[in-house]
Amino acid sequence: MSEQVDNLIRKEYAAGFHTLIDADTLPPGLNEDVVRFISAKKGEPDWMTEWRLKAYRAWTEMAEPDWAKVKYPPIDFQKISYYSAPKSMDDKPQSLDEVDPELLATYEKLGIPLHEQEMLAGVAVDAVFDSVSVVTTFRKKLWEAGVIFCPISEAVHDYPELVKKYLGSVVPQKDNYFAALNSAVFSDGSFVYIPKGVRCPMELSTYFRINEMNTGQFERTLIVAEEGSHVSYLEGCTAPMRDENQLHAAVVELVALDNAEIKYSTVQNWYPGDAEGKGGIYNFVTKRGICHTNAKISWTQVETGSAVTWKYPSCILKGDNSVGEFYSVALTNNYQQADTGTKMIHLGKNTRSTIIAKGISAGKSDSSYRGLVRINAGAEGARNFTQCDSLLIGDQCGAHTFPYIESRNPSAIVEHEATTSRVSDDQMFLCQQRGLDAEKAVSMIVNGFCREVFRELPMEFAVEAGKLLEVSLEGSVG
Amino acid sequence: MSEFQQQALELARQQQAPDWLAPLRTSGADQWAQAAWPTRRTEQWKYTPLIPLQKTWFNRWGEPDLAQAGSIDWIDPEASRLVFVNGRFAADLSSNDLPAEVVRFAEAGPEQRALIEQHLGQVVDSERHLFAALSNAWTDDGVLLHVPAGQQLSGPLYVVHVSTPEAEPTPAGQRLLIVLDSGAQASVVEHFASTADSQSGFVNSLTEVVVGDNARFRHCRVHLEQEDLIHVGGVHVNLGRASHMNGFTLAQGSRLKRIDYQINHRGEGAELVLNGIYLPRNRQLVDYHTNVEHCVPHCTTSETFRGIIGDSSRAVFNGRIHIHPDAQKTLAELSNKNLLTSDRAEVDTKPELEIYADDVRCAHGATVSQLDPTALYYLQSRGISRLEAEVMLSFGFINELLREAPEPALQAWLRRHLNVLLGRPEQLTRHLDTGIEDSLS
Repeated sequence: MSEQVDNLIRKEYAAGFHTLIDADTLPPGLNEDVVRFISAKKGEPDWMTEWRLKAYRAWTEMAEPDWAKVKYPPIDFQKISYYSAPKSMDDKPQSLDEVDPELLATYEKLGIPLHEQEMLAGVAVDAVFDSVSVVTTFRKKLWEAGVIFCPISEAVHDYPELVKKYLGSVVPQKDNYFAALNSAVFSDGSFVYIPKGVRCPMELSTYFRINEMNTGQFERTLIVAEEGSHVSYLEGCTAPMRDENQLHAAVVELVALDNAEIKYSTVQNWYPGDAEGKGGIYNFVTKRGICHTNAKISWTQVETGSAVTWKYPSCILKGDNSVGEFYSVALTNNYQQADTGTKMIHLGKNTRSTIIAKGISAGKSDSSYRGLVRINAGAEGARNFTQCDSLLIGDQCGAHTFPYIESRNPSAIVEHEATTSRVSDDQMFLCQQRGLDAEKAVSMIVNGFCREVFRELPMEFAVEAGKLLEVSLEGSVG
Repeated sequence: MSEFQQQALELARQQQAPDWLAPLRTSGADQWAQAAWPTRRTEQWKYTPLIPLQKTWFNRWGEPDLAQAGSIDWIDPEASRLVFVNGRFAADLSSNDLPAEVVRFAEAGPEQRALIEQHLGQVVDSERHLFAALSNAWTDDGVLLHVPAGQQLSGPLYVVHVSTPEAEPTPAGQRLLIVLDSGAQASVVEHFASTADSQSGFVNSLTEVVVGDNARFRHCRVHLEQEDLIHVGGVHVNLGRASHMNGFTLAQGSRLKRIDYQINHRGEGAELVLNGIYLPRNRQLVDYHTNVEHCVPHCTTSETFRGIIGDSSRAVFNGRIHIHPDAQKTLAELSNKNLLTSDRAEVDTKPELEIYADDVRCAHGATVSQLDPTALYYLQSRGISRLEAEVMLSFGFINELLREAPEPALQAWLRRHLNVLLGRPEQLTRHLDTGIEDSLS
């Protein structure tokens, strides 16, 4: 039976898409041929094409989730083009003079060096200036350590065994609507493999991966840390990112084998839309990690961008004594909406998890914490501590908390606490009395409010994150 | 429409109700018929499957057995009480001299009828509460308590609902409407009881309360039915300006027990204290859903629920606090603590905050754990057996809430009742004689 099915599939494959292969950009729409086309464009082996098709078929039978506390006009998935060749140099702005001055002003405030501004704004620059040498040095160092760090499309060719084994092992194709969509049409992303016992010699950052800027709207990241290894990975950057694709549906999978540790930090600052909330990015992300015995996964995120954020970095604490952490700052301003949080699934004995979530709402925005802590019957001695604090700035915004706690083991201890308050008049008075203006005072208070999370960020990110909050909150006071 | 929905409508058709209740019954039946049957994907019923209800076939209303019902342990035999047995009013078991403020729907005079028509089904949002729609459709009788402005109800009013076994499963509806005019005061105890025999009935209860400006309302609702009984109930309250409500509720588990509390702060300066205890065991389930709507500024809410979950039972708690825009200067706190006393017990708790105003102070907390081993060790080191220590600590866990129950007679009665319940092996209830309730209180 399955053989027949297989034959049938292959038959379609032979006839279906060949005419399309030469095209550079696909017309809007999504069907099996489009998925095959994307796969063929990337020269993927058959198993990968099949994998994508399985995801696509699952996706067609799924419904878009509607439980999150976000509102956006319905997305017509048939009106999106799922493949376009990278922009040619001619289409790009030729110099910074052609770039939106508002964007440049923000770069200026964040203190971004000129050549980086060019790169971020997508200016056509011939050679990738200094960073070429930087990247080469980095690659050499990583190579010596045995660390694999490459685009996932390369990994499919170069390390098919690893990709086959781990891709979809944490976030299966059918996991949820957006994960299924991503699995079917993912453009590119990072693949990281840390061999047994290796401590990655440097913090890995998407920033230093060549072609990073063109990973497109369906990014896929897979990080595998072998036994006893350690890696810290940074994603995104503090500079605001413009993107012509409104819908972003990324998937990140982390695998921490016995005694391994993965630290994943994100700073997300996609375009949030204008002050009226028009044109911002929809960011629907599925991030999940699995911890084997004694392993540890730590998620840290600073979310300030996007019009709509839907994101729940999670940990499956499968092995005994494994540890999951989630530190988050989500800031919304104007008409932004964020529904974010985490899931901690305790399966192994003596598993521990910590959740610290800070939500800041300003303007007319809405920010929600939505989290799940599940203690399964076998999770003897499990421990969870959750703290969610919300800060409201202005009386037009909303801050919400939806924690789900499911406990099935009496020896487990689960604690959840949440508070909501505003920047108090007393605090403001004290700061202003000391000569700070209202805006500076708010930014200081907000920074203090987020300190527990910033402390978890790698040094240089932490400094930038503070500045980022300041810029994002502009105009919300007074 | 699910099979159960159809059965329920058929049952409504079998009833003989006063004509003036027809509009409420019809609209309730329409809503019930059109409502989507909850599944695991329905957020409100995510952890509470309605399967026990669906699996039971109800095709006629119950016939009360007064002799059996009379044998139950009244909480305060001296207090005024109205007794319903399997949903039917039992005059023989009720007090002869009920206060003038109390009347059954069936005997309501024109003025009272106007009041019922004005408020009944208006406090509850039956669009959002499926079983409230059913209650509307099933309303053929009920109790109205109306305390006029500035008056005080002389003593607590007990409304007792007793379930007795029947040859086949039967449903029962229970409806209570309380209207306190401005400055009025009243204390009401709702007692849901059953005889000990196995029985597979279904109780659908609904209490609506309008608390007027400056009125004070004390309310206790205890659900102590036998474990085969299914109970879905709701308490819906509108609080007026500067009014005060002190609520207390306790539930033992059953095959399916779901209680909704919906409190709306409608007038500025209203205060709410709501405490609850749930004690499922064996293979029982208790589900408490509470929702407090802060629609206006300057109101306070203090809500505490605690549960002890034993054996293979399950507890579900969902506590939502919703602060509307402009409801500034709100103070709201919610705490939910759970003790799991067995490897097979499960708790699913979800305290929710939804906040749209900035000048507010809101907090919620939830914990799940077992009895503190060091406390157990301490007691054992003082020569107290482990089992007894467990009973003492469990009792201590809920005693705080019990102490705040607004009706002293109920407190004393519950202490006795809980001592028996928690100290199931008989030798452990010996501290009953040594007056532990005094030392604890």
